[in-house]
Amino acid sequence: MSENKHRVSRRQFLNYTLTGVGGFMAAGILMPMVRFALDPILKEEAGTEMVPVAQVKDLTTEPQRFDFKVKVKDAWYESEEPKSAWVYKDEKGEIIALSPICKHLGCTVNWNGDKSHPNQFFCPCHFGRYTKDGTNVPGTPPPAPLDRYEYKVKDGKLYLGKAKPRGEA
Amino acid sequence: MKWTVHDVDMYEKEKQYIDTAVLPLLPLTFSERAKLVAADGEFMQLITNEIERQLKGRLFLLPSFTYFLSETLDACVERLNDWTRELKEAGMSHVFYVTTDQKWKEAKQELSGALFFLPSVPFEHMDESYKQQIVHEQTSKLLNAFISWWM
Repeated sequence: MSENKHRVSRRQFLNYTLTGVGGFMAAGILMPMVRFALDPILKEEAGTEMVPVAQVKDLTTEPQRFDFKVKVKDAWYESEEPKSAWVYKDEKGEIIALSPICKHLGCTVNWNGDKSHPNQFFCPCHFGRYTKDGTNVPGTPPPAPLDRYEYKVKDGKLYLGKAKPRGEA
Repeated sequence: MKWTVHDVDMYEKEKQYIDTAVLPLLPLTFSERAKLVAADGEFMQLITNEIERQLKGRLFLLPSFTYFLSETLDACVERLNDWTRELKEAGMSHVFYVTTDQKWKEAKQELSGALFFLPSVPFEHMDESYKQQIVHEQTSKLLNAFISWWM
């Protein structure tokens, strides 16, 4: 009997081994499942990343169009969405990056698109107009100013983030 | 706007602003030309999608009008005019057809909508940047054609 205190019986040995191995197997199956379930929560919100768009030295006081791509994540499906921005420096030298999406029904606006109204953004769909700083011209369809991109400047490069309604950006 | 629940919902709210239907004319075939015809179709989808993105507030991009190359032109024209009548009755004052199929040229006078041609481009062995450039060029060309039609 005294031997049993120190030695493991065959039954105990098998029990330990089976629990151990079984545990590992269960963990091996469950871990990826748990990970998959939690994955979207653990990941950062899509679109918060800043994307390099242009060199700061290329910017002028005249709005220029820059095209870039943003990674969009819809749960597990990742794709690239093309985006554009109208970027210029105002009199104070501050960078303004406007989203070209018309606030009316989502068409793409152009700078100087309408010959009879120079120095304005123009929406070809319903002739909506915005002044240079993105304010909608009263009497045209758009109900709000153009969105502005969040931006930062790093190593001479302009990075753009999310487009936000004016007042928030 | 596209033929999706979200966009149809928006269309119902903003009906008075959406007066243009874009209908890609997409030929099908399983003959030895299948590959070429498919490539043209793909190119056309790329361009019409890009145009939809830029002008989504005024035009409705419909699923393609498909037909087999073996169908006679007269039958196609008749069917297409039926579609167009339906669209006009639904309040679309402009109906734009986009196609790479040259045979429609012969029927231009008989069609009740406006016809826009895209060149057929041998895309298969082209490198990516050149491809993008061509898509970009053709998109802005067609875009301007649409806009001047509206003016």
